[in-house]
Amino acid sequence: MTNRQMASDETRAGAGREAREAAAERASIAVRPEFRPGGSGRRERVFQLKGVEVLYSGVSAVKDISMDIHRNDVTALIGPSGCGKSTLLRCFNRMNDLIPGAEVRGDLLYHGEDLYGPAVDPVQVRKLIGMVFQKPNPFPKSIYDNVAFGPRILGRKENLDQTVEGALKGAALWDEVKDRLDSNAYGLSGGQQQRLCIARCIAVQPDTILMDEPCSALDPISTGKIEDLMIELKEEFSIVIVTHNMQQAARVSDRTAFLMVELDADEQNRWGRLVEYDETERIFTNPRDKRTEDYVSGKVG
Amino acid sequence: MVEETRIHYGEELEQLEASALGGLDLVSGALGRTLEVVEHQDVELAQLVIADDDRIDGRYLEVHQSLIALLATQSPVATDLRLISALLHVLKNVERMGDQCVNICKLIPLTGNEPPADEQMVKLILTMGRQTRTLISQSKRAFEERDVGLARDLVRQDDVVDNLNRECFGLALAIGEDPDRREWAMTMLLAARAIERIGDNAVDIGEQVAFVVTGLFREFEDASHPEEMPPAPG
Repeated sequence: MTNRQMASDETRAGAGREAREAAAERASIAVRPEFRPGGSGRRERVFQLKGVEVLYSGVSAVKDISMDIHRNDVTALIGPSGCGKSTLLRCFNRMNDLIPGAEVRGDLLYHGEDLYGPAVDPVQVRKLIGMVFQKPNPFPKSIYDNVAFGPRILGRKENLDQTVEGALKGAALWDEVKDRLDSNAYGLSGGQQQRLCIARCIAVQPDTILMDEPCSALDPISTGKIEDLMIELKEEFSIVIVTHNMQQAARVSDRTAFLMVELDADEQNRWGRLVEYDETERIFTNPRDKRTEDYVSGKVG
Repeated sequence: MVEETRIHYGEELEQLEASALGGLDLVSGALGRTLEVVEHQDVELAQLVIADDDRIDGRYLEVHQSLIALLATQSPVATDLRLISALLHVLKNVERMGDQCVNICKLIPLTGNEPPADEQMVKLILTMGRQTRTLISQSKRAFEERDVGLARDLVRQDDVVDNLNRECFGLALAIGEDPDRREWAMTMLLAARAIERIGDNAVDIGEQVAFVVTGLFREFEDASHPEEMPPAPG
């Protein structure tokens, strides 16, 4: 357990009534029950990948990815530039569908169902599997309208005020913006904008949140806030994060996947491959693969 | 395509390891002189060993500070992290070993300048000391070569020291009724005990070797639960 996690646990334990109320409030924006089957606890699988390969115009970007992603875990994808982490992340909510020439092969199951099955509606998928991007991308609207945007589109207009408040509280932004909900979101700091994007994401009651380098444009204080937030959010959601910041992966994630670039014999083609996937603590104290060791200790890359 | 980076950091860590393990050479020298002190009841040399312990303490402070700086600035992980953790332990062991030499040397004026009361007991203590110096150099070599087998063998070598310590105890019990001789024997027992503790510190260093190599920390021998220890492999 990292210090930050411990600190966060203490905060949770100490905050008492207020924390419970906040949790109850957040529960009101909880995921739809059919995607929260009870029973097997932490080891319940959100995603199961078997031999997943992603190609752009017939050329492999990542190959042979097999891994399980567990519910209520923060799962980190790390690896050097061009190893296909972001490509892999985009598979999880079918964002690759939007890229011409992109093709996903292999099995990618979401709660046991084929995510790329013919009957699956990608729009529905992206409702359940939200995404936060590297650069905060609020709409040029008020803070309130940013968060209310998703629920309005989905026709969930009842109790909109509560939904917005719950999402902003869930993203640890409420106290900073509650008196200026009508202000333009562009007036917020970068860190606040990113938390606004997280609020916008959780306002539509997703099941999983994908984050692509969510802190790379933020200062250490804002980064710390987002990291604390991730540890709180995983109580309700499953989180998959792509990061270049090794220490961030070490601090926030439960499991870490290391991908690296592989070249074919004549060094003409390169693609990403999963080298090691394990408990984060293991990856950063005693990885099994020499290549993982060299990468996490910053010796090659 | 794969390019080696962070070369200076790697070199710095190597140097710090050499400095920390070099502390074992300092301790071995201090123990050698301490044995001379015991053999010849040399009060002046005893004072020298006591004064010279500042060098060992200085090494501890210097390397410890540099390792903390590496932790703060380089965010070491995996093998590097285990190595730094192990070196912090080893430094503490080195510092304790040096203190034990000082403890023995502080005893010597108490036994006076008279010739030894029991030659046999002095001989045993000198044998213990030489065996312990072997342990010290073996622990250093095991660390340098990341040799878990050699590290584990320290337990066997340390058993020899422990047995000699028990023999000393037997001799002290049989020393007779004369109060001066009894005081001398008790004082020598304290010296034997200090040497025995130096051996234990060498075994602890061996455990750190196993931790660096395997990532698992297990005591080679658990004094509080000797029956539960798994048999040593090989």
